[in-house]
Amino acid sequence: MPKLICQHTLKLNCSFPWLICVLVNLLALNTHAQTIPPVPKQVSLSADLSVKELTISWFGGAASTFDLIILRTEFNTSVFYDTISATINQASGRHEWKWTSAEPLECTSLSVRIRSRDGLATSEWSKINTFRGRDLPSINTLQMYPQDRVVEVGSNMTFCCIVEEGKTFKEMLYGNTIMNVTRLSRRSYATTLVNVEPTGVSGSNIVCRLKDLSLTGAVMFVGYPPLPSDFVCETQDLKSAECHWKEARDSHLTGERRRTRYSVNSRNCNVDSQLTCRLPLWDGNWTLMAENSLGHYSLSDSAELIHRVRPVAPVNLSSIANAWNATVIWQWTYESYFTLDLNCQVESTNHESKTLHVFSGVGLRSVKLSGLHPDQAYTVRVRCGDQKYFWKWGDWSQTFSFKTQTDVPDPPDVWMWMNKDRTGLVVWKPLDYQQSHGRVTGFEVTLWNPEDVEQHTQILPPNTYSVQVNLTEMASLGVNKKVFATVVVKNIKGASPPSRVPLRFIDEQPLVLSKPVFTNNGFFLFWQQNATNTCNYLVEWLDTSCEHDCPVKWIRVAAGSTNVSIESENFKPGVRYNFSLYSCPSDSPQLIKRWQGYTQELVPSRSVPLSVKSQDSKVVITWGEIPLSDRRGFVLGYNVYISNGSELALLADALILEMLGALGTITILLIIVTFICYKKRNCMVHIVEKPERDFNKETLVVIPEEEEYFEKDEPVDTDEPMSLRYYNQVVDDRPIRPRFPGSSASSASSLDSGHTDVTYTGIQTSGSSLVFQPDPQGSSEEQPPEVVRYDGGYKPQMHPKVLSDDVVLKSSNPFQESEAASSVGYKPQCSWHLDSPTDTAETGSLAPSLGSPTSVASTQFLLPDGDGDEKNKQQPSSAAATWFSNLLLSSKP
Amino acid sequence: MADRRTRSMKSSNLSRTAVNRASMIALQLQGESSKLLELYRQKESFPADVTDGRLVSVPPPSSQLDTRDKLWRLHSALLQTQSLLERAITKEEEELGGGIKGEYENQRKTVKGRLSFLLLTTGNLLKAVDGAASLTPSLEGLELDGPTTLFQLKLWLLQVFSEVHHWSRAAVTTLQELLTNAADKQSSTTRVRSTRSARR
Repeated sequence: MPKLICQHTLKLNCSFPWLICVLVNLLALNTHAQTIPPVPKQVSLSADLSVKELTISWFGGAASTFDLIILRTEFNTSVFYDTISATINQASGRHEWKWTSAEPLECTSLSVRIRSRDGLATSEWSKINTFRGRDLPSINTLQMYPQDRVVEVGSNMTFCCIVEEGKTFKEMLYGNTIMNVTRLSRRSYATTLVNVEPTGVSGSNIVCRLKDLSLTGAVMFVGYPPLPSDFVCETQDLKSAECHWKEARDSHLTGERRRTRYSVNSRNCNVDSQLTCRLPLWDGNWTLMAENSLGHYSLSDSAELIHRVRPVAPVNLSSIANAWNATVIWQWTYESYFTLDLNCQVESTNHESKTLHVFSGVGLRSVKLSGLHPDQAYTVRVRCGDQKYFWKWGDWSQTFSFKTQTDVPDPPDVWMWMNKDRTGLVVWKPLDYQQSHGRVTGFEVTLWNPEDVEQHTQILPPNTYSVQVNLTEMASLGVNKKVFATVVVKNIKGASPPSRVPLRFIDEQPLVLSKPVFTNNGFFLFWQQNATNTCNYLVEWLDTSCEHDCPVKWIRVAAGSTNVSIESENFKPGVRYNFSLYSCPSDSPQLIKRWQGYTQELVPSRSVPLSVKSQDSKVVITWGEIPLSDRRGFVLGYNVYISNGSELALLADALILEMLGALGTITILLIIVTFICYKKRNCMVHIVEKPERDFNKETLVVIPEEEEYFEKDEPVDTDEPMSLRYYNQVVDDRPIRPRFPGSSASSASSLDSGHTDVTYTGIQTSGSSLVFQPDPQGSSEEQPPEVVRYDGGYKPQMHPKVLSDDVVLKSSNPFQESEAASSVGYKPQCSWHLDSPTDTAETGSLAPSLGSPTSVASTQFLLPDGDGDEKNKQQPSSAAATWFSNLLLSSKP
Repeated sequence: MADRRTRSMKSSNLSRTAVNRASMIALQLQGESSKLLELYRQKESFPADVTDGRLVSVPPPSSQLDTRDKLWRLHSALLQTQSLLERAITKEEEELGGGIKGEYENQRKTVKGRLSFLLLTTGNLLKAVDGAASLTPSLEGLELDGPTTLFQLKLWLLQVFSEVHHWSRAAVTTLQELLTNAADKQSSTTRVRSTRSARR
């Protein structure tokens, strides 16, 4: 247009104004030529669908800046509009620029236009160029993009679904989650997964569903690039290399196409579950390359061959076995090992016990194992390592078994039991596999004395562990001669060295019998050390009730020992055991100390044999001793109770004896009886009637209280009977419920009529059971004082529960408590618990003992005798109390 | 009675005990394949209402088919199913990754074994009916078409497992039918004999 104006002006005049016009027009023309860049031509589009990248190229002349707009063709929505700087491809001379789409390029068609820009001046837009998506009407199928994609954890992924013409989109699912969807075109829908997490085996599915329930989908694998670690190479044949590594993390990429592939020094490694690669020669330097769909990683290692020797497993193991040692021999797969300085471990197993032997040597191929036992099966295995440059232990060889040869047995452990009549038993312990050294074929027992040549030998079969001897039948042995028994064990290899034991009746009784402490670990025995004794000790034990041919057990104890713990599975509760400590058991056994004890004391298994005799106005109760095997615990003493069938009352506390008499009056007697009962001695109680009391149905009960037996200065036993005279002194008239333990049921059966019971009281209350608590309601000054009978050697074990305030506080005697606390003697095990405090309160101080599991009752009828009733009525109660107190105090040790 | 039952199907040399045994195996396979389908759907989070097409092609069922044809049709279908299942397992291991032995993999192995057992049993039944006839599976139309995506592979696996389940049910039905027909024939034979005896 300016041109036209200029030409028109020229025709009008050619003066100075014309010149100005020409200059202005020239300036204008010049300016116009600089500000209008050329329109980009021959725009072309190419795509890399796998990375969603669109490459745009064009001829743009000299321009380097362009405006670029990308639209979704169908909806004409802009996805990119910006000014870009494009470079010229030197080969083609075209400008080129790459754009990465958020969605897969197949999702929908994209239209591209470009214009050149020079500052503010821009060219016209180029013609529209379209990259065709898969949502074209001509492609009328249900589709999903992208397919089978592998992405790294944490990525964002966009998927699109192209529905068929005429079909209606319903939803897109990731697993079971319905995703938010963006519509890209008439048929295309997209969804984006943000920050994806690792997928499991077979990947994750993104499913596109239509209203008609048809569906399509795509599988995505999310994982990590490889991350190998611990890459090392070593040799076993001293020639080739075997490289190992680990994967520090799971790539989560499964399937043949996605799994990580490895190569070492560019050699592909066929890796399965073992991450190992074998190379035929020792390169000295190695590079591991790990690669998968998401990336690659390399690691290096370098080493000298001699520093990386991991020996192969020894093969072809064999042995040369002796009785006490064996030579184990093996072979190496490679001859090169013959010059290798090796360190080898030999693991031998015998009876599930493993021993590790270590040997070293050049080319080691055999070792001698010592410390073995004869006639034993051993299993061995061997592994080695380089001694000079130890790298790793090699593999264990296959196990190999052998058996050592037999040898003569060890001498047996022999002891004896002699009866008073010069008969007895020679006993010995079975030999275990470490002593027999082969199968035992028999035993040989010889009786002899040092002065005679003649010997009496007996051959016994295996599995015989005792033999009876009768020295009286062996005339040559003589009555007073010292006789020995010698026992020899034989196996197929020969006879063992002999073991001997002197045969003599050891009738010594120690001054005192101790009580051992029994714990879960057995009986704990201790004794004073005798400096002069240099012999070994022997502790023997047996059931105390056994008297003839007793199955004695024993254990040997080293000289200088002062204690031993005796354990046995055969110990039974309620059985009293004798433990005897002998010195020099093989030559001249001397009894050092003797103990008696129970693992657990039980209630006696039978009642006290009881008889009652009336004498004038008195009743004399007499009873005998319970046989030892039935006592099942140490007898603490006896209590005498009277029962009327429904109630049981301690005579000394509140006993009312009711007797039928000619006068028709009933006498009530209250006598407290506690006295000592010694072995082999009968006890008697004299009961004096009180005429005014009803004696009709009352009965007497005698309860054993305490057995004075152990470690006392006074004599252990006395045959003198004991007699006590009881008067109808009321001390505590509270009734005691007649409770009989199961073991005393036989004696309880007579409770339905007037009778007398003798009841064994609980050992749990050694002190307290003998402490008679004054009745807070009925006490008087005339009551006998609290009496404690206490044996310093034996302290019955109180169950902790018994030591509740309700009970212990009643045992107010400080002597008893201090003694109990300082006790180190035997404490019988007892699980019996006292009744509740309520019961205790109801039954008074006698409750802990009467009717306890460790008491037993005997009953006898009390027959009234009218003579003297009147006289007895006159007995002042205060006098009786005084007498009884004195009696009890006098019996206190 | 046992002898009589055996004789009741003697016209076609088909042991009723053998049919009953095959029926029991089919019933087991039905339960196991149902569980396999359920495990697979769970594993792949496939909706339960995913439509599945048929892969096995056999002549359509008809009431006109005799025992031999019914057995032949069933056996042929089971052969194709077995071929499909074996290929499916191989393909799944290759393309989607294996090595893991979970509940799904164990169930898949169980179904494969049971299907083989059922095939052996129905093959013996067919031999009993049709002499030494042997069938080789026709793999026509069973190929997985061209390049496929992993999702298509997964859908195909679902179809294969559905096919195993479908044909296990069909086996139960067919074998039960054979048993029922045999029982009917026996009762009618007994009736005729009874009538003849009565006339005499």
